[in-house]
Amino acid sequence: MIQLASLLALFQVSAPRASLVRLNGVDIAVIAIYFAIVVFIGFYLKGISNTGEDFFMAGREMTAWIAGLSFVSANLGSLELMGWAGSAYQYGILAAHWYWIGAIPAMLFLGIIMMPFYYISKVNSVPGYLNLRYGPATRGLSGITFAFMTVLMSGINMYAMALVMKVVLGWDLNFSIWLSTATVALYVILGGLRSAIFNEVLQFLLIWAGALLVPILGLIEVGGWGKLKTQIIHNMGNAHYVHLWQGLGSFSTNSMGVNWIGMVFGLGLVISFGYWTTDFLVVQRVLSAHNLRSARMAPIIGAGFKMCIPFFVILPGLLAISVLPFHLVPQSVAVATGQHSYNEVLPLMLVRYCGPGLLGLGVTALIAGFMSGMAGNVSAFSTVWTYDIYGAFINKKASDEHYVKMGRWSMFVGVLISVGTAYLVQHAASIMDYVQSLFSFFIAPLFGTVILGMLWKRATKAGGFWGLLAGTCTAIGLWEWVRLDPTALRYVALSPNAKAMAQDLYRALWSWLVCVIVTVIISYCTQPRPEAELDGLVYGATKLPEEHDEHWYQRPIVWAGVIAAVFVVINIYFW
Amino acid sequence: MREMSIWFFSGVLFLVYGILIVAAGTYEFFHPLLHPPVLNHLHASIWWGAAMAVAGLVYTIRFWPQRKP
Repeated sequence: MIQLASLLALFQVSAPRASLVRLNGVDIAVIAIYFAIVVFIGFYLKGISNTGEDFFMAGREMTAWIAGLSFVSANLGSLELMGWAGSAYQYGILAAHWYWIGAIPAMLFLGIIMMPFYYISKVNSVPGYLNLRYGPATRGLSGITFAFMTVLMSGINMYAMALVMKVVLGWDLNFSIWLSTATVALYVILGGLRSAIFNEVLQFLLIWAGALLVPILGLIEVGGWGKLKTQIIHNMGNAHYVHLWQGLGSFSTNSMGVNWIGMVFGLGLVISFGYWTTDFLVVQRVLSAHNLRSARMAPIIGAGFKMCIPFFVILPGLLAISVLPFHLVPQSVAVATGQHSYNEVLPLMLVRYCGPGLLGLGVTALIAGFMSGMAGNVSAFSTVWTYDIYGAFINKKASDEHYVKMGRWSMFVGVLISVGTAYLVQHAASIMDYVQSLFSFFIAPLFGTVILGMLWKRATKAGGFWGLLAGTCTAIGLWEWVRLDPTALRYVALSPNAKAMAQDLYRALWSWLVCVIVTVIISYCTQPRPEAELDGLVYGATKLPEEHDEHWYQRPIVWAGVIAAVFVVINIYFW
Repeated sequence: MREMSIWFFSGVLFLVYGILIVAAGTYEFFHPLLHPPVLNHLHASIWWGAAMAVAGLVYTIRFWPQRKP
């Protein structure tokens, strides 16, 4: 998720080099069939995406499974997969934290605690909830920043795809950008959120089908997990590569340069909860569920699948340490020497084990991941623009038909801005880092604002707005401080041994704390809203609808408990 | 109008992909590659493709488009 910033830039390749993968006719056919089917889905869904509810919220008729897979898939971009596989090669199993403690508790919390408030308030977006809870100023601040950043992220995703296709397949940058633009624009503008969700589910299944074979064959080759661990320890000379928590006692005892406080509170509490419970890109998928029970089950189902993803993302990175006959190197070294970089580990492992057909399937899974990432950003942008900016501040009384038309046009404009961003980034790669850092500035404090709004009746409109603003300014200030003076990292992360990753974790933690403290102080200094106005918005002021499941095993809390138990067991096993 | 679910699309895609991959694997079985991938003797294309085709077939039949009532 937020880690993308540094990973993206690493794909820059200055010297031309032969592509990693050579596709044959069957592989090309596999890719072409994927493009054909997503365009067909767009045309098919056009006929049932005519009202605002249909176009922006997929008719609120998705089952728990579809909403759940879409929820987890919206975050499963190809760049993330390739980046984290590379991180696993570089840092070992520590990279799995971003899939476990960095996701599972937050997803379960969303399903069990937060979803009822999002769902029964019938809002169309997270800024929409902020409007009901804190008023239009907070909605405007959140909506504008989200819309702006989302559409820029879409462009970065587009550029990243083109870059990876160039490195992996040798495709021309312009060809990749315009092919993906035309396809995404067509199916999202035609089918709206429903189309984006359909494609996210397809992408999710393709990633499993295309990538799962690598760890299976890899484990067969090395002789199982036990032998793999022995080989990694032998090759790297450090047992911490195969332990999740043992090396996190201090900043200097692990390759990431982080400690357990940053990992538990920075990643596990703030970044993870901020992303999975308040980023509208993912929350929108759950809001499309057809009833409250499905909306609560969707993140829980998503959490179950999220927990398995390290098997085909982190494990290939670890396997590469053992089986590749050469060492991967940082991108800066790769550019200078022509060696392969960490981020190429997933394509390299695909090429190692996959013959014709299977290789095309793996590449299609990567392309699908990029395209659904773009589609997800564009559809979320369109919803927030139409409801939270245009409908809230520019044209409040338009018809539903008008808003759908505006939604389609905003998607078109959003796609064009994305293309512009892609070309801008091509000529000024540093913009990519800035934009993604900016995106991360809003997530951590937004979680403070939303969670206080949901759980604390005393939070006031002024408290919410100024808390969000102060938290965001803190994140920007800390980032700028370290940018101007890299030695300041020791103060931000509280250790001279801290590395760049620690900055992200601690910056998020401080900005969240500032948001919460400012919100609490200002709330106590200002007039609270009457409790009657908070019905449906705040815990304690809301009578939650009773759910009547026929059997105990149908209850969301039971499944959340099962997932939580597995999560604990995994962490102990890989301790 | 017949309503097509996402599971039907997924089934069709997996069925087509499965058939293509099994066909490629079978061809490769009789015409070995010059530079085969590691563990090629396990013929992953054939069993993985077959598993995809079977899963795709099951989903295609199970979620075959029905007329809306």
